[in-house]
Amino acid sequence: MRSLAEISKQRKQRMKVRAFIAITACKFTHWLLRVMGRGATQLPGRVANKIYPDLLGYLARDVRTIIVTGTNGKTTTSRILEETLREAGISFFENKSGANLLNGITAIFIENCTATGKPKKNTALIESDEAAFKKVGKYTDPELVLVTNVFRDQLDRYGEVTHTLNNIKTGIQNSPHAVVCLNADCSLTASLKDDIDNKVIFYGVNEPIYKHRVREESDAPYCIHCKHEYEYEYITYGHLGKYYCPNCGYSRPDPDVAVSRVFISDADHSEIEIEAAGERFKALINLPGGYNIYNGISAVAVAYALGLDVKTAVGALSNFECGFGRMEKFMLGQAAARMILIKNPAGCNQVLNFLSNISEESIFVVCLNDNYADGRDISWIWDVDFEVLAGLQDRLSLIYLSGIRADEIAMRFKYAGIDPSKIKVQKDYGKLVDAISGQDRAVYIMPTYTAMMDLRALISKRFGYKNFWE
Amino acid sequence: MSDYCLNVCHLYPDVLNLYGDTGNIICLKNRMEWRGIHCDVSNLSVGDELHAGDHDFFFIGGGQDFEQEVLLKDADENKKDDILAAIDDEKVFLAICGGYQILGKYYKTWDGKQYDFLGALDLYTVGSETRMIGNYMYTCDALDGDTIVGFENHSGKTYLGEKCVPIGKVLSGSGNNGEDGTEGCHYKNVFGCYTHGPCLPKNPAFCDMLIETALRRKYGDSISLADFPELDDTFEKNAHEYMTARLSKANADDPSR
Repeated sequence: MRSLAEISKQRKQRMKVRAFIAITACKFTHWLLRVMGRGATQLPGRVANKIYPDLLGYLARDVRTIIVTGTNGKTTTSRILEETLREAGISFFENKSGANLLNGITAIFIENCTATGKPKKNTALIESDEAAFKKVGKYTDPELVLVTNVFRDQLDRYGEVTHTLNNIKTGIQNSPHAVVCLNADCSLTASLKDDIDNKVIFYGVNEPIYKHRVREESDAPYCIHCKHEYEYEYITYGHLGKYYCPNCGYSRPDPDVAVSRVFISDADHSEIEIEAAGERFKALINLPGGYNIYNGISAVAVAYALGLDVKTAVGALSNFECGFGRMEKFMLGQAAARMILIKNPAGCNQVLNFLSNISEESIFVVCLNDNYADGRDISWIWDVDFEVLAGLQDRLSLIYLSGIRADEIAMRFKYAGIDPSKIKVQKDYGKLVDAISGQDRAVYIMPTYTAMMDLRALISKRFGYKNFWE
Repeated sequence: MSDYCLNVCHLYPDVLNLYGDTGNIICLKNRMEWRGIHCDVSNLSVGDELHAGDHDFFFIGGGQDFEQEVLLKDADENKKDDILAAIDDEKVFLAICGGYQILGKYYKTWDGKQYDFLGALDLYTVGSETRMIGNYMYTCDALDGDTIVGFENHSGKTYLGEKCVPIGKVLSGSGNNGEDGTEGCHYKNVFGCYTHGPCLPKNPAFCDMLIETALRRKYGDSISLADFPELDDTFEKNAHEYMTARLSKANADDPSR
């Protein structure tokens, strides 16, 4: 008979061997895909998780993990945090190219470890899909979780907002040691506090951002607790703002870290005042749009919660580089192009809020795909207030529609009141890029996720921009 | 503009507002106004009283379960009698998904809980654990068998009673329940179905049939949309035909579907 200690030792040994095989298989797959010139965001992690399902837990045991989750703003906020950590002198690794499901995250942890599973860097900045967060939280036992907001998203994948909210709740409950930063202005997100035992830091915006907002439906008009209609002292955008329920008294909690003033929010940037730890800081956010004010303040909240210098975090807001497809700038021949990922009505309406502030004559491009990663249901384009563009037609010289569902988005623009002679369907990306690059005016390209991948691949090939995974 | 006018009632637009269903209202309004027909849309929600006589056309969309519960009580207290009266009076209804289910008799969840609905249509819905989800297409008997395309996303299986007929037969996808090959319900001038997408823009013939039915009910049988300016439906047809071709190809590639 073997002793218990012996069995346990053998089991540990077996775990190590299994981890070693899984890590090696993952690294090999990764290398192979790169050699073949392919982006590798999912497959290597899938291979590893097949061999060793708890691998992420094994790899994350000595890593301090920061998780960013929520419907909108994950990537941009992560980019700001990246700058914050860098300026704070913290060495970290991250999942950069939108690989935010379990397999992609596992692969990033493998990339950061030696063949025997020792981490090379001890801090991880991880953007996690809301549904994947349940497991990612459990395995990584994060030190900090940031929830950006909860909006209705691709309904075929995520289901209803309450379903998304429950996923995030479970994820936090699986992360018992994490300090949790919650958006006080989102009635759904803020309600998480009641169901978790974690320490919570609230952040928010203390005054309205826009003078004129697009017409948009609220994703959460009714009280999460008692189903009575909310009242608002002000709305910043969507369902975000200073809400209260006249029936049960549920109301926006006072934020610990707040945007106390919005001085300017124009087509290039925002100038704000931030209040944290009893101090006030002037800040410049290097991206346009009210939603980026939220991305900024949420990043400052994370820094505050981690005990980093708030001043450094505020400085990072003006220094960070744009996220992948988040207002990224390209030169396409003569045309100055910006690429802005669209994926759901709330996000797209914020892009329109921004676009309606542009004064120069421009060309819009929308590429609508309906692959799994885009959301197979494209009906959300009818929940976006494209009608606002009908009033801007003197500044809008042309709209190109492309992608798998180009016909549908073209029809949407017709029904939004755009002159049909300005609506051009071009399903061939090569010809589309030809048409754009011959223009000498600003071009705003709005693709869904897989359309963005395809377009970027073509653009990097033709104009020499680096591949997204580099 | 002509003297023709249809008053459209959008029921619970702030609650039943999922999956772009409001695009149906955008479509109705535009297709009437392009022809010179006035279109007045009234939004009626929780707490508002409904007067059936004020409206010629009723639209109800789909919503989230969480929010659907909010309106059941209100529908029962403030709107049920007028909805029943309007249906009896042959007013035109388009009800999608959750709105379609609510016009039926009841909804039974998969674990046996029963919610009583308005009982305006002879049908009931039973929840299932699997979702019927994806692009789909079916024939429409009221359009002489022309196709309707859209996106279905429901876990409820709907079964029709004897007093109503389906809109048509499923060509691809699940339809009412994924079992009997039917989709939707047609009773008097009420059309209920699972067609998100939204339904009307890429099925312009269906939209026009509904408009014409409402006009005839109000102004007499001699009225025809053919007497109004013809619309250029190139964009609509492209969107419709793209999906019929894609689903037909998927059917041909995989006959077991």
